[in-house]
Amino acid sequence: MKRRVNMHRKLNMQKRIPGFFILLFVIMVSATTLIQGQQRFPKPEFDSGYVQPDPTSPEPRSVALEYFDVFVLLAALSLASWLAVRKRSRKGLMWLSIFTLIYFGFYRDGCICSVGAIQNVALSIFDPAYTISLAALLFFLLPLIFALFFGRVFCASVCPLGAIQDLLVINPVSIPSWIRKTLGFIPVIYLGLAVLLAATGSDFIICRYDPFVGIFRMDGPFLMIFLGVTFLLLGTFYARPYCRVFCPYGVLLSWMSKFSKYHMSITPSECIKCKLCKDSCPFDAIEVPVDKAYRKPEVARKNLRRFVLYLALIPMLTLLGGWIGSKSHVFLSRMHPDVYLAELMISQPELREDETNLDIQAFLESGDTFEQLVEQAIVIRTKFKKGGLALGAFIGLVLGITLMNQVVFRRREDYEPHKANCFSCGRCMDFCPVDRGT
Amino acid sequence: MDKENRIKVAHRAMLISGIFCGVVALLLILNFWNMKQHEPLESEAIEALVQRLSQEPNNEVLKEEIRSFDLLARKAYFTSKWQIKAGTWLLLIGGIVLAASMKIYTDLRAGIDPPEALTEGLLKARANAQYWLFLSGGLILGLSLVAGVLTNDYLNEYDRMAVSADPAVEQSDVEVIEVFGAEQSSENATPDPESPSEGVSVEEAEKSTEESLVAAAPAPAVATVSSGAFNPNDFKLNHATFRGYMGLGVSYRKNIPVDWNGPSGKNIKWKVAFSKPGYNSPVIWGDKIFISGGDKNGLVVTCYNRNTGQLLWEKEVKDVPGSPAAMPRVTNDTGLAAASLAVDGKGVYAIFANGDIVAFSMEGKQLWGRNLGVPNNHYGHSSSLQVWDNMIVVQYDTNTRGRMLALNVTNGESVWDVQRPVHISWASPALIEVDGKIQIVTSADPYVSGHDLDTGEELWKVEAMMGEVGPSIAFDDGLVFASQEYARTLAIDPKAPESYVWEDDEYMSEVGSPVAYDGLMYMATSFGVVVCYDAKTGEKQWEKEFDNEIWSSPVIADGKLYIVDKEGITHIMKADKSGTVIAEPELGEQGFALPAFADGVVYLRGTKNLYCIGN
Repeated sequence: MKRRVNMHRKLNMQKRIPGFFILLFVIMVSATTLIQGQQRFPKPEFDSGYVQPDPTSPEPRSVALEYFDVFVLLAALSLASWLAVRKRSRKGLMWLSIFTLIYFGFYRDGCICSVGAIQNVALSIFDPAYTISLAALLFFLLPLIFALFFGRVFCASVCPLGAIQDLLVINPVSIPSWIRKTLGFIPVIYLGLAVLLAATGSDFIICRYDPFVGIFRMDGPFLMIFLGVTFLLLGTFYARPYCRVFCPYGVLLSWMSKFSKYHMSITPSECIKCKLCKDSCPFDAIEVPVDKAYRKPEVARKNLRRFVLYLALIPMLTLLGGWIGSKSHVFLSRMHPDVYLAELMISQPELREDETNLDIQAFLESGDTFEQLVEQAIVIRTKFKKGGLALGAFIGLVLGITLMNQVVFRRREDYEPHKANCFSCGRCMDFCPVDRGT
Repeated sequence: MDKENRIKVAHRAMLISGIFCGVVALLLILNFWNMKQHEPLESEAIEALVQRLSQEPNNEVLKEEIRSFDLLARKAYFTSKWQIKAGTWLLLIGGIVLAASMKIYTDLRAGIDPPEALTEGLLKARANAQYWLFLSGGLILGLSLVAGVLTNDYLNEYDRMAVSADPAVEQSDVEVIEVFGAEQSSENATPDPESPSEGVSVEEAEKSTEESLVAAAPAPAVATVSSGAFNPNDFKLNHATFRGYMGLGVSYRKNIPVDWNGPSGKNIKWKVAFSKPGYNSPVIWGDKIFISGGDKNGLVVTCYNRNTGQLLWEKEVKDVPGSPAAMPRVTNDTGLAAASLAVDGKGVYAIFANGDIVAFSMEGKQLWGRNLGVPNNHYGHSSSLQVWDNMIVVQYDTNTRGRMLALNVTNGESVWDVQRPVHISWASPALIEVDGKIQIVTSADPYVSGHDLDTGEELWKVEAMMGEVGPSIAFDDGLVFASQEYARTLAIDPKAPESYVWEDDEYMSEVGSPVAYDGLMYMATSFGVVVCYDAKTGEKQWEKEFDNEIWSSPVIADGKLYIVDKEGITHIMKADKSGTVIAEPELGEQGFALPAFADGVVYLRGTKNLYCIGN
């Protein structure tokens, strides 16, 4: 009976397709209007001296309230773990995600955020002059610690970036595994690049290109809003695109979650292999049962050969990546404003006379000499040489390990969540027809 | 339709709509990027025209031109906006079709697979994933490597230009005689804390050096150039300055060759590799030919026997009072030795990008030197010297101020030094004769102006130029010709400078100077077009487009037009109304300098070698 109810629920979801199209239409038209509006009417400049709040750098918060934020995070993580692992409540997780979306998203303007805290941690490690706040450190660490024990419960219903996308998953489609694996490499590069740029004091690109913070603050640069709307639209049928294809923090969480001992399970007792859970997962994060086919001698030999090859390739890819990374330091370093400005003034010296070039005019009026700027740029570029080497080596290493993982098979009897990729959202639990006592 | 066919249809719809969405999205991004790059009201062409309008408020043709440009820009902008709107709708429709077809496709393929099939599918998916990971990983690393190799390291280039001159280091191979008093010489032996250094801004350096010069300049010279009688005919016989006699680009030498080939050695009498780079053009006096060069290790003046190519002497410039401790930053396309030398048979005179101006005897002794203040010049100083009647004329217009001065060839002291209400200029001074008197004519933003040779006093000026003026003037039959990209090409009667004799805005020169001869005016644009005008009316006689860029200036010799292009090909044309190309001999290396002429021979400077060419 319960199975019928679940199937019926699934069918109801399919019947909601016209609603989805209406939503899509509305968002598309809104986005178009937004784009047109942004182009036609730039923000006014107030004579009264009023300064518009910067959407990427909100005002600091009092220390007490920062700790309150940490408390809310801790409470939300604990509740999410309980709802996912013990209570097995999809509904509870959904309501919790609505709360965190309102609190961490719209109320706290998307900042402080565990995803962006990666950069604070990186900067505090490489720049002795920068001191990270305890709140930022805890925001970085707590979700990772919870992931180590309970899986990605942070993604399930604590992260506002995930929550806003999760609520708009309307008609998810499955995409081939090879595309997922290939796209899954992007967050690794993004993570490496974000750490490099933060460590060199160049930029906090995770915050700059955060697609949803503009929506949370109901304001933002055109690119930010455009990205946010695009991701939400895409997310209606490719569920949680930012989390799956870009989120750099997701890389760290997935590494932690792989080792989680108390990760949620799909079925409360014995799996009947009905496949409903697989169809219900919008993130293709459920692993299918694997029989002995992979142990056939010809398959096993081939896999073993590949395994040895990839194992040998790992150090080579790491070295090659490191070498290419160090070669790339010149163009990477241009992301630092000082290097960019110094090179601009060297390559186009006539711009010094261009009164409309605000960057150059601001520098000229700063009182610093150009020689100082160039010296500073050279120091930064030297840092990038080391950083580029580390970034390239990291990318090469992850590529090698990912390749090696493709030839490692583990026997599996049941449908199980992929611990690294599963967001612990609970949809599969909801769809599972097996009762707890069965 | 059975299930298999429906799956096929859904799959095709999915593919087609996916590709369609991708293409539309790409076009939208390109369109958006293009709009961001080209703001309609920030067009350089419109800005230049509007600036011109401020100078000529009653020019109705110009107003009409601005209006049509503006209309065009606005049309382009609104067309682009319409394209974005249409593209968004197309993307929306495509997205709906894609989502629907994906949904139908996945639903039709849904079913419970047997365990065997699941594993087979997994093996296949993993194999595919390996292939694509390899491909995408390789692509990322490959692209990074290519980008890393191709990226120009401007900081490194800039760093290489930095020279920490150590005045204490002796240059034993250079003969130097003390030209200033002993007190000054001893001061020069130790670094002057007041002298400009790397940490001092260019403006400060220029001012401070000039100030120190005021106190130091009148010091008595120990050695001087012998001041013999001045004979203008000597200058006509030789190729004494940039663009030859009076700096006007017309040579009076005969039997100039038209056929040579650098790589094969055809008609190459000799060639020598010079030691240091420089964009200056060779100058000739008697049997001697001179060039200069400069790099991070120093600045040199070099003299060869022009008949044999034998190196007669090469001297490093040193012990110049007030010379900065470090070389100024200059761009690679200008360098430290862009200005050509001047020679008058008694001495050879050189100026460099650090503001040093020096005189050497014809035998290579450094006679005197002074520093004019490090020029605040964002490319590097390039204005060549002009010498006449025992005076060296220096056009020294920088970002700090407009300035022109004349130095006594015997000791380098200023004969006169005037400030000018002009912006920075890279053009060189030329001499013209008006009513029997020699005038200096210069081109800078905004004036083309004539000055008294004896006093520097401004005799006339015409507001005609704008921007970064590079071309020098031409003169023939009482008319002065000037040109500048984004300004105009024009003819001026120095006796009636109130209005232009004619002007043209179809062709304007950015680097090369015009030349006028026998009733015609010729000009080469940097993008490779050579154009000829009637000198009196401005009527275009012909235009000829060549394949390569031209950074050099056309010069006239033996009734022919010689134009060296950037790839070292000399386009030799008849200097008449026909526009006939006579020959296009190749040098075998890039060419930026102007040819120097003597009877029966032409001298060409490439980027590495100096060539003597003769039949």
